[in-house]
Amino acid sequence: MSAAPAGEAGADVLVPHWLTGDHRARLTTVVREALGDDHLHPVVAIRLEDVLTELHVAAARDAVWPASSARVRLAAGWEADVLPVRLSAGELAGVLALPALPQDLRALLAKGAAA
Amino acid sequence: MSAPFGGAAGLLQRLRPQRVDVADLREVAGTVLPALSTNDLRVRLVQRPRGGSVVVLEEHERCVQTPLGDLADDMTAAGVRPTAAGIAAALSAWVAHRPVTDAAAAGTGVAVLDWADVARTAVGWRVVVRRGALTVPWTADRATEPAAHRVRTAATGRAHDVVLDLRVEGPVALWSHPVAPGLATAALVAPERMLQRARSAGLLLADMHVVITPQRPVACAGRAVAARLAGETTEASVTLPWQRLADLPWL
Repeated sequence: MSAAPAGEAGADVLVPHWLTGDHRARLTTVVREALGDDHLHPVVAIRLEDVLTELHVAAARDAVWPASSARVRLAAGWEADVLPVRLSAGELAGVLALPALPQDLRALLAKGAAA
Repeated sequence: MSAPFGGAAGLLQRLRPQRVDVADLREVAGTVLPALSTNDLRVRLVQRPRGGSVVVLEEHERCVQTPLGDLADDMTAAGVRPTAAGIAAALSAWVAHRPVTDAAAAGTGVAVLDWADVARTAVGWRVVVRRGALTVPWTADRATEPAAHRVRTAATGRAHDVVLDLRVEGPVALWSHPVAPGLATAALVAPERMLQRARSAGLLLADMHVVITPQRPVACAGRAVAARLAGETTEASVTLPWQRLADLPWL
């Protein structure tokens, strides 16, 4: 796995994007399809692999420490399947550059807003 | 004892606690405590000549004596509902949190990881005894070193037999106990078996690091993914390469 270890010198700041289960499933599909393209630039491919990793890690994080996300969901009135997916600027740029990214997901991720 | 009355109180109840009255507690205790006694555990309400009643728990070498008034104050502070059912549940939970006897630790203790310091920056091995969903720590303060060693060795053996649920989430393996959250770290006595089971589930963990928060599921992943997992939360945790687990101290 190529995810940058958080906390190490030079590690990117990861910004949370609060996404529903449907958002995460569709983002996973789009990223997987893009990774199947043989002409994808290797640097972009690494960033997109990291996005896939984060989509899994976000779910794992919520399984281990559910309380902090639950507090945010309660305060914001969101459904139980809304999770923070934490992306670096490079990972976000890689996703936003995908032509197949659905418009609603693009708008959501571009403004860094919540579900 | 941490959270000795169970975790039932809601936020509002904790912010604006209603008083648990000593007389109500005495009445509930008179009904509940006799039913909690066993062959080994003696639970009594003792009326002292001065200073009110005392709840006495006696089990082998362990004895807890708590004035009923202090117990009522602690329940109020913890946000226990001042109803008969609320007080009864809190009293049962309090008895379940009682200290673990040397005999219970020797007979049923299981090795798990627990916080080694108040600041929650390090973990170490501890012998716990399961009581329902609870895992209560044993303190070796009275045991001789050879006796403590025997208890710990047996507890490590039992930890091998704890059956955990495995959930694979992409590059992360998550281990949890279906009933007692404190037992999730028991699997860490045999990390090679965790590696094997993860591999059988389709996850190859070449450089397995474990992310440990006692009483929470254990997460295993490669170094970078483990760092990403633990580095982006405000919750306390310890991340270690699996080879270092055997070197952690006993608490």
